[in-house]
Amino acid sequence: MVDYDYKKPKSLKEVFGLLKKYGPKATLIAGGTDVMINIRNRELSPEILISLRGLSDLCYIRKNNGYHIGALTTHRMLEQSDMVRAGLSALHDAASQVGSVQIRNVATVGGNICTAAPSADTAGPLLALDATVALEGPNGRRRVPIADFFTGPSETVRKGNEVLVEFDIPEEPGHFGSAYWKHSRRKAMDLPLLGIAVGLALSESQEISNARLGLTVAAPVPIRAYKAEEFLIGKRLGDDVLVEAGKIASSEASPRDSLRGKAWYRREMIEVFVPRMAKLAAERIRGE
Amino acid sequence: MSNLLYVGKGTPRTIEVDKVTGRAIYINDLKLPGMLYGKILYSDYAHARIKKIDASKAEVLPGVRAVLTGHNIPDVRVGFLRDQTVLKKDIVRQFRDEVAAVAAISPEIAEEALDLIEVEYEELPAVFDPIEAMKEDAPLIHEVDARGKPIRTNILPLPWKFYAGDIEQGRKNSAYTVKDTVSTTWVNQCCMGTSGCVAEFDMNNDLTFHSQTNVVFLGKQRIMEYLSSIGMRGRNVRVINPVVGGSFGTKLDTDIYEFICILLALRTRKPVKILFSREEEFRALPPRQPAVFTIEQGCDKEGRLTFRKAEAILDNGAYTSWGATTPSVMVMPMSSLYRVPNVSFEATCVYTNNIYCQAMRGYGNPQATFAVESSMDELAEEAGIDPAEFRLINRNQSGDVTPMRLKITSCGLEDCINSVKQKLNWSEKRGKRKGKGVGMGSLIHVAGGARVYKSDGHGMIVKVDQNGHIDVLDGGTDQGQGSPTIISQMVAEALGFRPEDVSLTLGDTGLCLWDAGTHASRHTFMAGNAAVRACEKVKQQILELAVENIPKVVKSGFRRKKRNDPDFVEPDLDYTLISKPEYLDIKDRMVFPKSDPEHPFFRIEVSQIIRDALHVGTGESKVVMAEAFYDPPTEMLDRELKGNLSCTYAFGTTGIEVEVDEKTGEVKILQLFAAHDVGKAINPILLKGQIYGAAYIGAGYGLTEEMKLENGRVMNPNFLDYKMLTAKDVVPVEPIVIEPGDEDGPFGAKGIGEPGLVPTAPAIANAIYDAVGVRIKSLPITPEKVLAALKEKRK
Repeated sequence: MVDYDYKKPKSLKEVFGLLKKYGPKATLIAGGTDVMINIRNRELSPEILISLRGLSDLCYIRKNNGYHIGALTTHRMLEQSDMVRAGLSALHDAASQVGSVQIRNVATVGGNICTAAPSADTAGPLLALDATVALEGPNGRRRVPIADFFTGPSETVRKGNEVLVEFDIPEEPGHFGSAYWKHSRRKAMDLPLLGIAVGLALSESQEISNARLGLTVAAPVPIRAYKAEEFLIGKRLGDDVLVEAGKIASSEASPRDSLRGKAWYRREMIEVFVPRMAKLAAERIRGE
Repeated sequence: MSNLLYVGKGTPRTIEVDKVTGRAIYINDLKLPGMLYGKILYSDYAHARIKKIDASKAEVLPGVRAVLTGHNIPDVRVGFLRDQTVLKKDIVRQFRDEVAAVAAISPEIAEEALDLIEVEYEELPAVFDPIEAMKEDAPLIHEVDARGKPIRTNILPLPWKFYAGDIEQGRKNSAYTVKDTVSTTWVNQCCMGTSGCVAEFDMNNDLTFHSQTNVVFLGKQRIMEYLSSIGMRGRNVRVINPVVGGSFGTKLDTDIYEFICILLALRTRKPVKILFSREEEFRALPPRQPAVFTIEQGCDKEGRLTFRKAEAILDNGAYTSWGATTPSVMVMPMSSLYRVPNVSFEATCVYTNNIYCQAMRGYGNPQATFAVESSMDELAEEAGIDPAEFRLINRNQSGDVTPMRLKITSCGLEDCINSVKQKLNWSEKRGKRKGKGVGMGSLIHVAGGARVYKSDGHGMIVKVDQNGHIDVLDGGTDQGQGSPTIISQMVAEALGFRPEDVSLTLGDTGLCLWDAGTHASRHTFMAGNAAVRACEKVKQQILELAVENIPKVVKSGFRRKKRNDPDFVEPDLDYTLISKPEYLDIKDRMVFPKSDPEHPFFRIEVSQIIRDALHVGTGESKVVMAEAFYDPPTEMLDRELKGNLSCTYAFGTTGIEVEVDEKTGEVKILQLFAAHDVGKAINPILLKGQIYGAAYIGAGYGLTEEMKLENGRVMNPNFLDYKMLTAKDVVPVEPIVIEPGDEDGPFGAKGIGEPGLVPTAPAIANAIYDAVGVRIKSLPITPEKVLAALKEKRK
């Protein structure tokens, strides 16, 4: 029987107090679109739910020496932000394709990352955008590069007494663009079979000065395709180069056969969509 | 026909306002005083012996009112072949096997009680592939039949064999032949409303059963037979439909949960509700049957079909429901879609440890048409004939009697094919192979009832009261298709009233006359024909009363005037104008003489005539009411599966343009034209709604929908992993309505509930072939399958 207590603290301090008191018996809940499903599936049976929705000051998108996104920012806010659309296109692509409008209205980006599903839509873009995760605990704040955040399916470096509070995304110098492809069977109410995020910085002469590739559902955790990135940097943007980068990225991935898709197909799609997303990112740089 | 006021108009579905505002009472909302909640415990294994069931902990849980197992209920077999019991106590044969059931004061307590029931199993070898299951050494799913006779095979004792003409002769006459194997898989009906029911016994042991069934009378019969078999012979049963959120075949059989609910109500003496979760809907309802077809066809040099030979193997699952009878419908497209003189069709249903199957929209026709229409394109290519032209050469025509003895009366197939061709710009677009392609598929389906039971009758009662209001009591059901609107239109048209004057009561065995069921696309055709007949009688009654009462009304008016105005002179009226019923007519709720419709004195409201006939003061008062029972002049299939089982047949063609991404295997439907010979559109809005919905489900059947079973277990029992298309996955459907008019249909109409779905999947497969030159032979056509086929082709 589903039975639990529910607290809605107003400050982080209160949250830390409750976490200390209840320890592993407590589960943090933000939008609830993952937690509630897990409770109903009986995969999760917390004695107490600590809602973060009282922490309204963790709900923001700011640009000030880089981008700062509060953990409680909803996918819908990201979707409707012109700043995100223009500067963090890949994140915009991802946020606007999560579930349905109703889900995006409540589901938070912090929750998406803390659930740490291999298929988390925002994880790939945050990797490609080189985001840093800010975790706050009773003893203060620490920052972790998102590439180091995930440790396994549903596992992260976040400690039981910590709350993810913010994402910081550097503002790239020069011409930077990004794009995310959610490879799914439907256009709504779906999870990605594969997620491919590309962040690209180009020089005036179309030389790739920086590249980051974030892949989801390609490994037990969201990953960067470092070798493909290394290959790209310094090369001129062109079909052959991108095709090769796709192949390298595919070799870096370790997708598995699952009910939702076959490993061979996922590998092939990495080869197909790394070039396609890189091209889209480049088009966005050129303002097309 | 040209003067129709309401038939043919897009009357909005006014009664649906309650649905969209949340007021309608679905089974979910139904709550009776003292009602308990039932939950079912299912098997943990696909095939196992039950060693022990210990429900003692569940029985003592506070709030639990009854715990049932196979050990404390009557050991009685149920189902189409009586091959199962309500609760299983010895052997489970599939994961959905019902092992125990609980009634409690809340659904949560019932759920908790299920967790406390301990069942010890000993796993048995299982078989999940029908072809494996046919082998001699395969594990036997059933060891004895309903009579206790030993069974030695997993093949069902239902040999479906159809032969017409001479296949060998057909082969000899062929210039070209093709042979191929195609397959389809399980799909769920995905009703928006999940399954459920409420059972309540009174102190006389009479049962009121709130059921979503679309066969209220056959459902009642099955329940009475069951009650009789458990020692309650002669108890009354009333089956009442709540508002139903879709059926698509799921409500054709009386499902096990319904028997369980009845047993729980009987045990507790309280009303009991069982309501399925979405997961149960996927795991514990019978889906559409998967089938593998081997199909061979030939044609002569001119492209005329010479023979068609097909064999089907159907995975029946562990028990038998209506799914096992779908070959009786498959035989229709196999024998009668296009003119083909020599036909052989054999279908074998095989028990496995998979989930057992039922009916779903199209009832075997979508599977069989996928086979026929895939093969048609292959044969056209072999013969070097354009596939549209090939279909036109072989099209069905009015006056045909098919090898199955179907009598084709009206037939718009030629128009359907041609209009799809034209809309798609077929000749221009076909054969380019640049990632874009066009394809088509056609269908035949029953559209004038379907005599699958000894009565294909449909009863309707029509009464008009003294307020001028019409109540229609119809034996059919409304599972969301909009019958009340259609019937209102037809009754209003037939009686000279407005649709808004008509109220419908459907789906209640206590009030209505027999109906064979709202299935087989038959409700509009049947109810329409019954309405026309009942309204004719009602109209006659009204006109007879009018003959009697109009002079009285007119004269009493004159008397009143005279009292007020002594100088008033009564006009000299010709009362012969209204002296016989046949001189009168009704329109817009007014009775009037045909010879002078605007007559200043003889034009009277119907309600006044009925009021005067009822409130007579002294003498014999009268009411207006008539019933009609319409049973079409059709035949049941004989032993050879031949017979004209429907009064008329629907034809249609779906034409599709697709774009295939050759790198990803993804298929996008660019255009979908669905041309349907509907006889006559009673309500174009509702008609198109049926076509849109069917095309969407058809596109899902073709591209995305599949229940994934692993060793008998449904692995994707939710809408995240079961890929029903959403509104965002736009399929641009354009219906093309062909209206040749049908002489037997009410106002010329044919049934159109199922057809739209049937040819969609093969049209997609054919369009993909045109686009990229690979033929996908198993549904659904996933990107993986397309990409793998493309890679294979490039090798």
